[in-house]
Amino acid sequence: MLELKDVHTYYGNIHALKGISLTVNDGEIVTLIGSNGAGKSTTLRTIQGLNKPRTGTVTLDGVQLEKLPAHEIAGLGVAQSPEGRMIFPRMTVLENLEMGAYARKDLTSYKDDLEHVLALFPRLKERITQKGGTLSGGEQQMLAMGRALMAKPKILLLDEPSMGLAPLLVELIFDIIKQLNNEGTTILLVEQNALMALSIAHRGYVLQTGEIILSNTAEKLKNDEMVQKAYLGVE
Amino acid sequence: MQHIKTGVIFGVLAGLFTFLFGGWSVTMLGIFAGAGLGLALENKLERGTQLAKAKEALPVALVAGGLMVALSLFGNFVVQPATGKFTALNTIVVAANILGFIAMVGLAMLTASFRGLDEKKEKTAKTILLAAIVIAFPFIDVFMNLRWTSNIIFALIFVILGLGLNIVVGYAGLLNLGYAAFFAIGAYTTGILSSPQHDIFLNFWLVIWLAAGMAALWGFLLGAPTLPVRGDYLGIVTLGFGEIIPVIFKNLIDVTINEPLTCWIIPGIQRLFGATSTVACINLVSHMDLTAGEKGINPIGRPILFGYEFQSNNTTPWYFLIILIIMLTVFLIQRMYKSRLGRSWMAIREDELASAQMGIDPVKTKLAAFAIGAVFAGFAGAFYAAYIRAIFPSVFDFSASIIILCVVILGGIGNINGVIVGGLVIMTADRLFLPALKDFLKGLLDFTILPALSSNPGLQAAVSQNANPILYRFLLFGLTLVIMMRVRPEGLIPSAQMRAVLHADEEIEAVQNDESKKAKKG
Repeated sequence: MLELKDVHTYYGNIHALKGISLTVNDGEIVTLIGSNGAGKSTTLRTIQGLNKPRTGTVTLDGVQLEKLPAHEIAGLGVAQSPEGRMIFPRMTVLENLEMGAYARKDLTSYKDDLEHVLALFPRLKERITQKGGTLSGGEQQMLAMGRALMAKPKILLLDEPSMGLAPLLVELIFDIIKQLNNEGTTILLVEQNALMALSIAHRGYVLQTGEIILSNTAEKLKNDEMVQKAYLGVE
Repeated sequence: MQHIKTGVIFGVLAGLFTFLFGGWSVTMLGIFAGAGLGLALENKLERGTQLAKAKEALPVALVAGGLMVALSLFGNFVVQPATGKFTALNTIVVAANILGFIAMVGLAMLTASFRGLDEKKEKTAKTILLAAIVIAFPFIDVFMNLRWTSNIIFALIFVILGLGLNIVVGYAGLLNLGYAAFFAIGAYTTGILSSPQHDIFLNFWLVIWLAAGMAALWGFLLGAPTLPVRGDYLGIVTLGFGEIIPVIFKNLIDVTINEPLTCWIIPGIQRLFGATSTVACINLVSHMDLTAGEKGINPIGRPILFGYEFQSNNTTPWYFLIILIIMLTVFLIQRMYKSRLGRSWMAIREDELASAQMGIDPVKTKLAAFAIGAVFAGFAGAFYAAYIRAIFPSVFDFSASIIILCVVILGGIGNINGVIVGGLVIMTADRLFLPALKDFLKGLLDFTILPALSSNPGLQAAVSQNANPILYRFLLFGLTLVIMMRVRPEGLIPSAQMRAVLHADEEIEAVQNDESKKAKKG
């Protein structure tokens, strides 16, 4: 479904992605793990069109994305729950969710989708008239994910959903990710919490300084000696 | 008790105004202050029966009315004589004060009693009351011979400008320091198309749309290359545009346009091959005076409705015309605010990157804000040109842009009602209050204070020359803004969003209090 082929992305002169190739198939959870500065978020930004690759191609169901502006890519069914959440702080929770559906052409199932999102995140339902900026960190994460879901995306990009959250909340969020996938959403998950990510993903890629050094099924990556040493903290 | 404070503020402010104007002004102010006080109370009171609310407002209204009348009488009998204006005790003073008091108390109670109605009826009642005041104002003004209408019309022009700029600054969050340029474009379009300057006399009802269209076009042309620039930098670019436009209008007095093909393209090619030019040049326009420079365009055609030509000495039709334009403006802006476009303006203002991720085209959205904002400046410019009948480039300089920006900020950025109040407050202060204050001070000085300083003619002259508040209008203006920013940065009537930003801590606290209460109950 989503395919990156030899993507090189730069920040000015800094060579951030050095030839990334990866695929995400329909109905999969694929995770990108790696340490700080490995290029995980840059990969997602490149897919979303916020950074343009200098060379290489990004295709979604055969449509080339790499030359399109970000808002058109959103219209094609790529939704992201960004790192740092980036919710609209001065809009209410409901308005934030409505913004998520902005790019949708077909709004027939809008009401059901809203109900579905609110059922997934009951906390948001309690806070529906509250301003986004007044939510706690975990609630903002839920709002960011809910907003992305409102777009009814073909592929959902999740950037560090566990960042800054209490362990209990992290588990809750990962349960929800799993549930979303069971309902048929394709997910590309970027995580620092490698153990968590590998426990729910089907396949994984390991990123180091802008290159993919390893790719395999999640199960095999979990048992890989190098991965265990570098990312899972197993001696 | 806190309501009494509101009453004191309204009473004293109204009283100070009557100080300066005397005569019938106390009745007029009773009407305005009464309705204003009623609305202010109405927002704060809890719901209850109509009678109870009216009773609750009664002491406040009595305080406000009493203060106003006391100040007015004090002004009439103590202060005015000291300025050399002898106002004999006559029936007018008595009648004006009694009517003013009744208007203040009655309207305040009436408006406060609306709180007893259900929400829908409450809104209707308020609308009817405001409409009645707006419609009655020019007739009362003529009857009382106050001549305030012409100044109020000026204030209303700035209300339209404020509403237009509010789209750009308040909704889309783009700093625009050159908004007066679009006002100028609207005015000059009107001037050029309906004046003897070029012997074109188009109908005003047509020209006002052309002016709006022209302003929108230039808003688009300015926006297209500059909108990728963000934040403060956009402010600087618009500042430049605002400076350029009046200069262009000043200098478009000797326009020559040659048809380019024969004048320089063909000769250029010939010269390239070493031949001397032989083609005769065609002048499309030569030495045309487009804008008459500093002299300005004068006289500009007036609107004609059903065979009646609007006159300069009868301000009432102009007043209703601009009220109509404001109603149209408010209607359009409200519709836009609630539409998809309004939503995307808000989103862009909040977070440009996140909005792009939601599928909003940032450039298109910002361009729309710029061009649509300019449309309303075009309306205002067309009205201004027809009303004043003469336009000069100096009217549209930087200070005009800043005043419009202040209207938006003082009134309440992002809020239509706030901008309307802001425009009325700033412009009535500038055009009514300060000139009256100047006359008042001059009278007081010439008649009472200066004779006391008679020993020193040099000092006398210095005092009388400098005691002119109009000289200090920008100083006073700046002072007001500094105080506002310290005391109430969200403006007189803030929008919900701005309140959320500037008082975020309070809101979070309120939410937490709420939760702890719930927790205790649970």
